[in-house]
Amino acid sequence: MQKFVIVALNSLLAAGLYATMSYGLAVIYGVMRIINLAHAGLMMLAAYATWALNDRFGLDPFLSMIIVAPAFFVLGMALYATLIRWLPRSAAGPSMQSLLLLFGVWLVLQNLAYAIWGGDTQSILTPYTMESVPFLGGRLGVPQILVFVVSILSLVGLNLVLRRTYLGKAIRAVTQNRDAAMLSGVNAGQIAAVAFGIGTAFAAMAGSMLSTLYAFTPDFGRSFLLKAFCIIVLGGMESFTGVALGALVLAFIENFASAYTSIPVSYQDAISFTLLVVVLVAAPGGLPGLWRMLDRRVVAR
Amino acid sequence: MTALLRRHPALVPGVLFAAFLLLAPVFAQRGMLNDLWNMAFFVVLASAWNLLGGFAGQVSLGYSAFVGIGAYTTVLLANAGWSPWLTLPVGAALAVAFSVAVGLPTFRLRGPYFTIATIGVGEAVRVIASGLEFTGGSSGLRMPQGTFDFNANYYAMVGLALLTLALVAWLQKHAFGLALEAIRQDIDAAEALGVHSTQAKLTAHAISAALVAIGGGLFATNFQYISPGSVFDFRLSLTIVLMPIVGGMATITGPVLGALLFSYLQIKLLASPTLRDSYLFIYGGLLIVVMLFEPKGIVGLWERLIGLRPRRRAQPPVGEARRAS
Repeated sequence: MQKFVIVALNSLLAAGLYATMSYGLAVIYGVMRIINLAHAGLMMLAAYATWALNDRFGLDPFLSMIIVAPAFFVLGMALYATLIRWLPRSAAGPSMQSLLLLFGVWLVLQNLAYAIWGGDTQSILTPYTMESVPFLGGRLGVPQILVFVVSILSLVGLNLVLRRTYLGKAIRAVTQNRDAAMLSGVNAGQIAAVAFGIGTAFAAMAGSMLSTLYAFTPDFGRSFLLKAFCIIVLGGMESFTGVALGALVLAFIENFASAYTSIPVSYQDAISFTLLVVVLVAAPGGLPGLWRMLDRRVVAR
Repeated sequence: MTALLRRHPALVPGVLFAAFLLLAPVFAQRGMLNDLWNMAFFVVLASAWNLLGGFAGQVSLGYSAFVGIGAYTTVLLANAGWSPWLTLPVGAALAVAFSVAVGLPTFRLRGPYFTIATIGVGEAVRVIASGLEFTGGSSGLRMPQGTFDFNANYYAMVGLALLTLALVAWLQKHAFGLALEAIRQDIDAAEALGVHSTQAKLTAHAISAALVAIGGGLFATNFQYISPGSVFDFRLSLTIVLMPIVGGMATITGPVLGALLFSYLQIKLLASPTLRDSYLFIYGGLLIVVMLFEPKGIVGLWERLIGLRPRRRAQPPVGEARRAS
């Protein structure tokens, strides 16, 4: 029982980070119908930026997010202005062209990191990296708790922006129906640029937080990209609560599978991938789609 | 004959180039032959990938899995006493089986979703190959002594490249190729017209997997040593995808041009340390430039250049153009 509680708590803590990492993808997908493959590269770059700030100026990784996130917001807007906006727009779904273009961006970012920092494995060591606090008879790592708190704060912040401000309403309007939003006077191009900036900033926050938990190389981020993609598919691609739910589901499945089965840790990434394929095949609408389907069946009865 | 040439303008340079490749061992130095071998290998990979990724439009980033299956089968069986040549069909058969096993779930996904799933497949295969014991783990495996015969291997690789090109060109002109084309353009419309899309995709996947696996087997015999880092490498998957994209997807000549370009790039990359450290810049930059300016690659660019002349004339009204064609 005690083990169960601890595993469940750890899953919850991981889910916060997973959600932060996935919202960046989800916002960009919602507004532009683009799957941002460069997300992984941006997370990696943010991890290095955090590391560099820590190494050079002794800045705490969590404090450095105050610098890194806005910087990546600008970087995202710049990426949009130079590359993304020239892509032909497809109403139906994400185009192969946009996917491959962003794949190219990812490769360039990787090489940038190799060129600046070399290929060695890096990690950030803070005084609290190895600390843990006793909780309900088990122990929870301090970095994990901090990551969870920051994730929740950032998600609450994003939710407030999306619900309360004109910008947020415009983003949601473009997500729901681009043409109708434009007819109502929303500047869809501008909104797309801002959304790409927000998505990039969230990738950066996720990257900063990942750097406090994991060691990284310029190759870092591929498995987290797959996880984030799995989560937004689980969450039905566009809904805010859906993504949070998807993050919880993936985190719980991963943690419980490694705690209660003998699947080796190196195969853990296969869980998210298997889940991704199963969900895409069995329930293309994700959890919300599944819910609607069940709901309809119950009502029909 | 002239009609044939008009329909296939690349036939004459193609035949000349094939003759050059086949006669090269007579006059060329070993270093040059190595480069040509590598080029033929790339032609096999690019053209085989193009069958599924180009014609059918199902972009897969996990093709190094098939190279690896072919290579590992050859090395493992050769170490068990088989002749390397006899291992090639076994590797191809295993690759076909794997392609179907992977294709059955993933082909239910469309476009970009399929592509992302294939990144996962490639990752999974590499992790598993590094973890298994009989594959020698991450340190890899060596071929038994006395299996190395460069000239035979060279002819086999060039022959495989020509076979691949002929097969793809033949398929393109027949119902199967048209079915793949229809799937790329509009999968729902293709289904409505009676194309069994999953079956067609699975067949294309299987054919290209078999060709790539045979190439992988020859790769293992030629290099005498393989490891997950060499055959399951993400860079190899990347090169396989980039060659047809840069050359021109869904064409016969595109992947060949891409293979020429990338085998040249590879020689340059290996020769210079600064270039080797920036290969991702080059690959990523190429991808960005092609996607922004000419998604049809070199072939598209060429067609645009050729097309400049007729386009200067006034465009006929749509109705007339229809009747004319």
